[in-house]
Amino acid sequence: MNGLLASSRRSGRLSLSAQAAARAPRGLTPTAVVAVVGIAFVLIWGQQYTGSVFVLAACYAIVTAGMAVQIGFSQQIAFSQSVFMGVGAYGVAMLNTHYNLPVLLATPIVLVGAGLAALLLGSVVTRASGLALAVATLMLPLIAVGYVSGTGFLGGAVGAPLPGTLWPSSSASTTVALVGGGLIVIAALALVVFIASRILTSDIGLELFVLGVDERTAAALGVRTPRRKLELFVLGCVFAALGGAVYAGTQQFVPETLVDPTAELALLIMLFIGGRRSVIGAVVGALVIQYLQGASNWVSVNILVVEGLLLTVVLLTDPEGLAGIVTTGITRLRQRLGGSAPADGEAAAAAVTPAAGEEADASAATASTVAMAAIPVTRPRDGRITGEPGEAPLLEVRSVYKEYGGLSVLADVNLALPERGLFALCGPNGAGKSTLLNVIGGSVAPTSGQVLLNGADITRRPPQERFYQGVSRTFQAVHLIKGRTVLDNVAVACLDSHTASIVTRISRSRLDQAREKAAAALADLGMADLADREVSSLTLEAQRMVELARALAPSPRLMLLDEPASGLSEEQRQRLAGQLTALAERTCVLLVEHDLALVAQVSERIFVLSAGRLVFDGGPSDFRSSPVVNTLLVGS
Amino acid sequence: MSKFGNLFIAGITTGAIYAMFAVCVSVWYRVSNILNLAVGDFAMVGALGVDNLYRVKGLPLPVAIVCTLLVVAAFAYVYDQVVLRIAQDGPHRMDGIVVTFFFTFALSFFIDGVAKMLFGTDVHAAPALWNGASLSLGSLHFERAGLLVLACAVIIGGAFWVYIRFTLGGKALEASGENAVGARIVGIDTRRYRRLIFIGTAVIAAVFGIVESPITGFTYLSGATISLTGFLAAAYGGFRKPGRALLAGLFIGVLEAMLGGYVSAEYGDTVLYAILAAMVLAWPRQLGFESAVSG
Repeated sequence: MNGLLASSRRSGRLSLSAQAAARAPRGLTPTAVVAVVGIAFVLIWGQQYTGSVFVLAACYAIVTAGMAVQIGFSQQIAFSQSVFMGVGAYGVAMLNTHYNLPVLLATPIVLVGAGLAALLLGSVVTRASGLALAVATLMLPLIAVGYVSGTGFLGGAVGAPLPGTLWPSSSASTTVALVGGGLIVIAALALVVFIASRILTSDIGLELFVLGVDERTAAALGVRTPRRKLELFVLGCVFAALGGAVYAGTQQFVPETLVDPTAELALLIMLFIGGRRSVIGAVVGALVIQYLQGASNWVSVNILVVEGLLLTVVLLTDPEGLAGIVTTGITRLRQRLGGSAPADGEAAAAAVTPAAGEEADASAATASTVAMAAIPVTRPRDGRITGEPGEAPLLEVRSVYKEYGGLSVLADVNLALPERGLFALCGPNGAGKSTLLNVIGGSVAPTSGQVLLNGADITRRPPQERFYQGVSRTFQAVHLIKGRTVLDNVAVACLDSHTASIVTRISRSRLDQAREKAAAALADLGMADLADREVSSLTLEAQRMVELARALAPSPRLMLLDEPASGLSEEQRQRLAGQLTALAERTCVLLVEHDLALVAQVSERIFVLSAGRLVFDGGPSDFRSSPVVNTLLVGS
Repeated sequence: MSKFGNLFIAGITTGAIYAMFAVCVSVWYRVSNILNLAVGDFAMVGALGVDNLYRVKGLPLPVAIVCTLLVVAAFAYVYDQVVLRIAQDGPHRMDGIVVTFFFTFALSFFIDGVAKMLFGTDVHAAPALWNGASLSLGSLHFERAGLLVLACAVIIGGAFWVYIRFTLGGKALEASGENAVGARIVGIDTRRYRRLIFIGTAVIAAVFGIVESPITGFTYLSGATISLTGFLAAAYGGFRKPGRALLAGLFIGVLEAMLGGYVSAEYGDTVLYAILAAMVLAWPRQLGFESAVSG
């Protein structure tokens, strides 16, 4: 059995390394495409209209590539780009006009300034999430345009011309300045595309994706959401400032309209037409809009109609924009040509033969139950070996109260759990079970009382830190990350990038290591064959098992499982029971569950909550015979 | 005191307009989960359409108004049937920010572009419906158009309130917004409500555009500004609470007038937006932004 397991693990690793070998170095392909196409355009048409539009579009593309990371991929909708584009452009124009600083020298100075400003502003605005963030940052262009138009120093409503060009030599001919400046813009764009692609394909890229899907889940999985949001904000602003700086250097004029809300909307249109999650898409979007504006006189006069129609049609075809349309097109073309991608083929095969799939699942599950007993017990992170009875408990909840308004949800709840074993929390609907789990997990703060982990007070610690200390959880509703494979969903819990900064991920990523760890955890549960499937294509049981794998992959000390059996059939529940029992051998599991038979079957101790109070605490036999339990939960 | 009083009257008048657009945005968001960023553009079409039909084409004013409103309603109907149907009811139902923001955002661009084609780029306004010099009460001055705006706001706002609060349709509307699937299961045609309210709010917006335009004048780009303020006011009601959106609209209008009058005519708006941003950041939960503060 051990041999079998080892081989399946090895094959998992093999396929991963094979994938890694087949891939080009991260971020190289899009960068190379942008660089080659850009240089060709500038060299061939640099002095003509086509080339100048390309350069202008590239200035915008620098901004939209940053937006693809911040807005599209991580879904942090902040309307700050046009303002920071203005910061970059006006900054360069002012340094050039008033201090005679060459544009190329002024640019890094302005970028540092913009970065600091973004850090300051971001530490205030990124405290907000979702719509609050969007609305608060929507004020930025409104404030900026009011400020700029009233400020003579910046040229007011007329705009600010600057004498310098991006190309450093002032004695160069117009041709050289034009082509040279264009090449510098392309270099800047290639750099931005490189950085953005590297970040998106790194381990932090996976963190950002989860952050975009659901901030709460991200926090529960250890992602330092406040920090990531701030980093994203600064990144978006610095890219925007760079775009603005090269804009000023190549156009030699900064119009007031660069910072107004319409400019922000125009940038959003470019991003969404191109494809919000794709860096290359964002670049293409900028190109499409810029070329459209010059396509014909009619189009440039009626650009609003064209943009409106184009955005509607593209979004109706594919919410992921042109990038999505092209990707889907290529996949379909491949399928039609017969050479379908292996992952798709597998998924299709699995979908056509559910019976066979389920059989495989079943046998895999039984195998894994047996297998898990044979796996050496994974040690908790700090290497501490299990406690003897009588030692300090792993988890202690001390007289926890939780009130919402005047409504008491938890009242004087006390419980203590040892290092290992399976414990259940039952109670009628609204008894406060999930709230208690949230208090322990850290997503809800108790009104009063304490939560201790290994004797240390963690009551005020955020969910992320509890995760690092070995608390992992599943949710009542399945909280998987749609659009990602099973492997990535589990790998999220195995990342060790939480303390790293986004910038370090440009040079290295430990995503492959996290994926390997995730593959091992999936193999433990007999789910190695599901690794490459997209999670929303799975059955509910498989999705719940993926959540379980995700909770178990980081080798937690305490697992909080919120109704893992809900929606499962009797047969599936029995399989789950086997897995839970095996888990309890090596870690402490606290289970919230409505299925009393399952609870009595697997738990060694059961707590019953009613109206926020603990009304029962005992073993399964007492549980079956308790009159309190019978009245409350069975209704007799 | 009379300065304060007159500023307050001016503030309440613009506030009433913001409030009505905010109500339109939040009522439709309740049933459709889409933010209508084109609501101001319907107002612009109302104003410029009536102006065009009456002044350029020479139609009698009532005919011009009715025709404009019919065109707005028909356009809203077609948009719902074509675009929103594919986006929301199609086999690949979309959700998330793309639908919430970007379809109506594209619609706004489209309408503005068409208006530019039809009406040109100059400032125009629908003819005043109630002519005469401004009315005075002591040192206070009331613009007639402003009074009309207030009257419309009270009548339409009141009708909305009665509809949502007391009729079966209003309850169904609320149910559609709370849980579309659940509402469909109990037999509520959520799509019909989405369409009905979309057309209704488009027409209401056009009416406000017609009534208000003599005060400020409109260009083909005025819609975006109106939508934005309506959107902001609706945001302070969490997008789902028309009552609070109404109050927020009035508040923003009065604050804007006061800042313009007492702080700085030039930087008044800048200060206004800074205050509004600070409020969002300080009390996101209390102001009804569903997502909580993190960190």
